Amino acid sequence: MTDRKDETGLDALFAAARDEAPMPSGDFMMRLQAQALAEMPQAGARAAEPGFFAQLREALGGWKGASGLAAASLVGLWLGISPPAAVSEYWPGASQVSLGEIGLDPASGYDLAWIEG
Amino acid sequence: MPYDAMSDIADEDLLAAYARGDAQAARALTARLGPRVFAHAMRMLGGDRAEAEDVTQEALLRLWRAAPDWRMGEARVTTWLYRVTANLCIDRMRRRRAGPALDAIPEPEDGAPSVAAAMMARARADALQAALMTLPDRQREAVILRHIEGLSNPEIAEIMDLGVRAVESLTARGKRGLEAALSGRKAELGLEDD
Repeated sequence: MTDRKDETGLDALFAAARDEAPMPSGDFMMRLQAQALAEMPQAGARAAEPGFFAQLREALGGWKGASGLAAASLVGLWLGISPPAAVSEYWPGASQVSLGEIGLDPASGYDLAWIEG
Repeated sequence: MPYDAMSDIADEDLLAAYARGDAQAARALTARLGPRVFAHAMRMLGGDRAEAEDVTQEALLRLWRAAPDWRMGEARVTTWLYRVTANLCIDRMRRRRAGPALDAIPEPEDGAPSVAAAMMARARADALQAALMTLPDRQREAVILRHIEGLSNPEIAEIMDLGVRAVESLTARGKRGLEAALSGRKAELGLEDD
């Protein structure tokens, strides 16, 4: 296998190494074969693409994320329709407090510029 | 199809059949590649059979797992396997060097200057293996692939991720290292002096 005759005798050693190639035991080859078969993909078992709703659920963080999001949406909707009395104590509503009293200017700089021309 | 009928099928085609769940391809590939990987691991590791078996198992496991995503025409299976095997061996050698060393290098058998040719061949192979273990890992890998496994320089360059000139330089330095390691044993091994 070498390019040219080697004068120092290495060729003879390489030839001996090729002749004395280490062989695996039959028992080990059986284990290797068992491993190959165990790792082999099953014929036609490639997983189908997940559907639209499955992908959406995954995007929202699986079942936990999606159900948390749904619960939070429902609570928000309920608070909007029927705010509990405790909330009113903190926020009496626009009928009783004007925006100026709580430090908000109802007209922005842009609005004023528009009015003044 | 029995595996002897698969002998003219390329490794890459067998691997594609394996990925489709063909058990005959699994058996044929194991029979074809297992002994090659094992022999390379034995030579790289200095004849430690248990470690060579571990490396062979690990290298082939990686091949089986890579099979479904194998891209035909990009890499040869043997090139890929030689690279994985050598890297696993070099990792183990480095870990071994961190601990107590040298016991794993097989000593040449006593009584090497025997008239029996078989014993002489064994003694020569053992002496070469001991000398190979004195080389740096990458030199040893290049010399084994070139002069024992019989691969071409371009193929070795691909395996080792080097240029062809660098491979030639590694094998040349490796051979000089072997000659130096074996210089005192030529008569014992029945080799002529220069």
